[in-house]
Amino acid sequence: MNSQTTKVLSLLVGAILIATLPFWAGDQYQLHLAALIAVYWILIAGLNLVVGFTGQLSIGHVGLLSIGSYTFAILAGKMGVDPTLSVFVSGLLGGLCGLALGLPSLRLPGFYFAMATMAFSMIVNEIVLAQVDLTGGGIGLPGPMFPKPFDSPIGFYYLVTAIALFVTWLTWNIARRMWGRAFISIRDNPVAAQAVGVPVFKAKLLAFVFSGITAGVSGAVFASLQSYITPDTFVFELSMFFFVCIIIGGRGSIIGPFLGTVVLTALPELVSPLAKLGNFFYGLLLLVVVLVVPEGIGRMFEIISERLRPRIVHREPITPDLNRLAKALKGHE
Amino acid sequence: MLTVIVTGLAIGMLYASIALVYNVMFSTSKVLSVTTGHLSMVGGVFGAYIISVLQMHWLWGLLGAVLAGATFGWLTDVLAIRRVLARSDEHLWLLSTLALATMVQQGVGLWWGTEPKPFPRLITQEFGAGLMDQKFWLPIGMAIVMTIGLEFFYRKTMYGKVFIAMSEDAFAARARGVSTDKIRLLSYVLSGALGGLAGFAAGQLTFAFFALGHTLTLLGFIALAVGGLGSNIGALIGGAALGLLNSFASYYFGGEYQQTIAVGLLMVVLLIKPEGLLGAKNVRPV
Amino acid sequence: MLRLTKLAVRLSLATALVVSATSTIAADTIKIGWLSSLTGALSSAAIAENQGVQLAVDEINKSGGILGRQIELLTRDTAGDPTKAVNFAQQLAFSDKVHFVIGPVNSGEGLAAVPILARAGVPNLVIGAIDELIDPVKYPRAFRVINTNRQWISTANDYAIKVLKKSKVAVIADTSGYGTASAKTAIEMLEKAGIKPVYSVLVDNNKTDLTDEMNKARAAGADVVMPWTAATGMLGRLLNARGEIGWNVPVVGHPAIMAAQIRQLLNKPEYWQNAYAAGYVSTTFSADGKLPERTQQLVDKIRPKLGGGEIDILFWWVAMGYDTVKIIEHAIKTAGSTDAAALQKVLENTRDYRGVYATYSWSTTERNGFPDSNMAVNQANTFKDGSFKLAPR
Repeated sequence: MNSQTTKVLSLLVGAILIATLPFWAGDQYQLHLAALIAVYWILIAGLNLVVGFTGQLSIGHVGLLSIGSYTFAILAGKMGVDPTLSVFVSGLLGGLCGLALGLPSLRLPGFYFAMATMAFSMIVNEIVLAQVDLTGGGIGLPGPMFPKPFDSPIGFYYLVTAIALFVTWLTWNIARRMWGRAFISIRDNPVAAQAVGVPVFKAKLLAFVFSGITAGVSGAVFASLQSYITPDTFVFELSMFFFVCIIIGGRGSIIGPFLGTVVLTALPELVSPLAKLGNFFYGLLLLVVVLVVPEGIGRMFEIISERLRPRIVHREPITPDLNRLAKALKGHE
Repeated sequence: MLTVIVTGLAIGMLYASIALVYNVMFSTSKVLSVTTGHLSMVGGVFGAYIISVLQMHWLWGLLGAVLAGATFGWLTDVLAIRRVLARSDEHLWLLSTLALATMVQQGVGLWWGTEPKPFPRLITQEFGAGLMDQKFWLPIGMAIVMTIGLEFFYRKTMYGKVFIAMSEDAFAARARGVSTDKIRLLSYVLSGALGGLAGFAAGQLTFAFFALGHTLTLLGFIALAVGGLGSNIGALIGGAALGLLNSFASYYFGGEYQQTIAVGLLMVVLLIKPEGLLGAKNVRPV
Repeated sequence: MLRLTKLAVRLSLATALVVSATSTIAADTIKIGWLSSLTGALSSAAIAENQGVQLAVDEINKSGGILGRQIELLTRDTAGDPTKAVNFAQQLAFSDKVHFVIGPVNSGEGLAAVPILARAGVPNLVIGAIDELIDPVKYPRAFRVINTNRQWISTANDYAIKVLKKSKVAVIADTSGYGTASAKTAIEMLEKAGIKPVYSVLVDNNKTDLTDEMNKARAAGADVVMPWTAATGMLGRLLNARGEIGWNVPVVGHPAIMAAQIRQLLNKPEYWQNAYAAGYVSTTFSADGKLPERTQQLVDKIRPKLGGGEIDILFWWVAMGYDTVKIIEHAIKTAGSTDAAALQKVLENTRDYRGVYATYSWSTTERNGFPDSNMAVNQANTFKDGSFKLAPR
């Protein structure tokens, strides 16, 4: 079986599993987990373009998630706007905030940029707590449900899965084509990229704004899934979690971070001692991955499979045909 | 009014000390570690633990804080920096130091508890001492002592000169026989000790609180960015500016927008003069 | 090779999920879910309540269980995180299929988890105080065991206005869900009594120095300070600030003002004077130094579990935890089954059920079980063995 067939087959099996999940999932709790994975993946798919492809280490994306969630809760909940329209507005606002954050910070070197995004998430938290009339402050806001048929858990699961698949398709297209290559070149060597003519700043900004839009949309459905949002939900550790999912999955791929998201969301639920360690575990995992396999766990599988079944490299030694060479040289005289 | 200024200066000097720590780390490794704020946190927590819980004299607490910071600095180099710098990937150290910082923060939180616990008095003094209270002049004094100490270190001692050599051109230093790995390790241990010391001195202001790490990393960084990377005097100026701004804003507008204002300052400075007030312009030949 | 490995990972993950789902065998135990923030914010309250819950469960199981079935307590540490509270509520309701859920402790987590439990139809004993957690229509199976926030606030307000005869109130609360809600309610109730607060502020409960806020309150002419926060750290700092600026204003408010942890946080022991808090008849010493009989019995029972010496936590937390399990026992015994609808009916018809912490009554329209008559005002620095003396009248 060549790699193309296995790739298609595994994607097909995966698609069937995802589509029929509500029926084999066991109970509503696992359906809830699956929907949560889909919601996180909407944000992480966009963030993947920023962190995994363009190499901009944004550790403050929880701020954009928060903006998306609160926008949705305020519009669809307090003001009674149609939830579908609210999702669009949340995405739009997320993109705008991404633009506002990205314009000044993307020109800065790596650490400065990371700190700027961290500071952004802290500012969002402060504003949410301070604007009590708008956001309910510490009390929080209820997350409104979508209209039929998406108000049941199964319906909602299909809604977020559909959105997640759409976002995945978008990122896959971007990654495959011109912009994807541009992003990777910026990550690996910005000077060379600029020398070849890649519009570095524009590309970074594009990726960042796109990730803002996906974060906004993700925030909107997150609010609906959680049915209630408070400032306690949007802590810095959640940003770390998104980040770790991408790094573990492997930068530069889309399937990798997706698997990373699935594993990291499901793991603490299945293995409850890990849940107590919580963020310590995420930090430890990130450290181990960065030190041992910085390309991600996908690479680790490759290394293991190399050890188990090494590729047979066909050597074609090149021996010069001396007679022919001599004749060719003589022929010139 | 005077209280506002003194409080601002005191907390600002803590930020300045952290900026000094950044400078020491950066000089030899060109790395800005996310663990910097956590060094101070560790210093404060261990100091409080030794004095309050183990009931020992505050000199032991000081020693403990410095040792804890130095150990943590050593760990940062060994775990997060050494292997990572060997690879050519530019920003991996950001991830590794972030990971280590999170681990230490959560670890301390699990052990020490999640509530800010009061830091004990170091010198017996009445609590109503007002402006002359030690919680104000301890961090200010410590920052000044650290700056003078570092200047002396850089100018008069051999190791200091080696640090400067490495910060100017690491390859040339190595070509001249300087063991860059060992010097880098030394600089991390030193910066860890300084960080622990700063956290210990400012403990009465910040309380022994496990979640201080990320906040101090960020605010110390703002002090550094405002003052200019690489300049110790700049660190003091940046820290003072940030502390005073925080204090005044919190007095007039209430404590709700503290982070917003601090970051506002950062953004303004970075937009106008990205290398900070006293920093050197980073020109790189391509 | 890589693709196949990824396929293998996917399949094994899926299988693991399915296996874990179907492996929850329905044993013949009575399952009680306990959503507790044993780590993180408000962990001191949760840990104390946990002691009471565990004691009651052990006691009941030793004497044969409820209707012959043993109690299985499923404790889930939410660590103060509403997302975890939501996930665990979902897990307890759908995966573990518990018969009753106690908690969550924090109001922020409660706001997120209570609707989920209501949607699942699981009976829920609420131990958070803010008003929004209870609604006979939206959450028909949620019954509150703790007093309501309004009861705390009105008790404190009455004491400040009618007994201490103060009229210029400063309200200081924290930025948490509880603090924000309480400040709003407190100001509303004061205004109903004809008093407009001269100063009110919300403070982050990790802010290390409250001197600014106390100075501003003094400058506004306040003659009583009413703090509404459950964070003992912040209350300690508030009392320190009051002492350091030399302002002998009475402090009347949340029961946490009396918590034993405050003793270590105070710079001087006299800073705890002139402080009063809303408390309970069940944990108040009578004039001749005796606790109510049921409280004393529980104190004696639980003392060995708490270390044998003096009790240094607020005892009403322990008593309330103990009562929640006893209420569940009462409900299941009276209903004769663990059917959720039957349990709801029984609780709705409960009148004057005598617990240790209080005597509870619920009805079809009233889901707050704590009676006004069980409230009291205690003096803060009279803490002894978990209970207090009555404040002077």
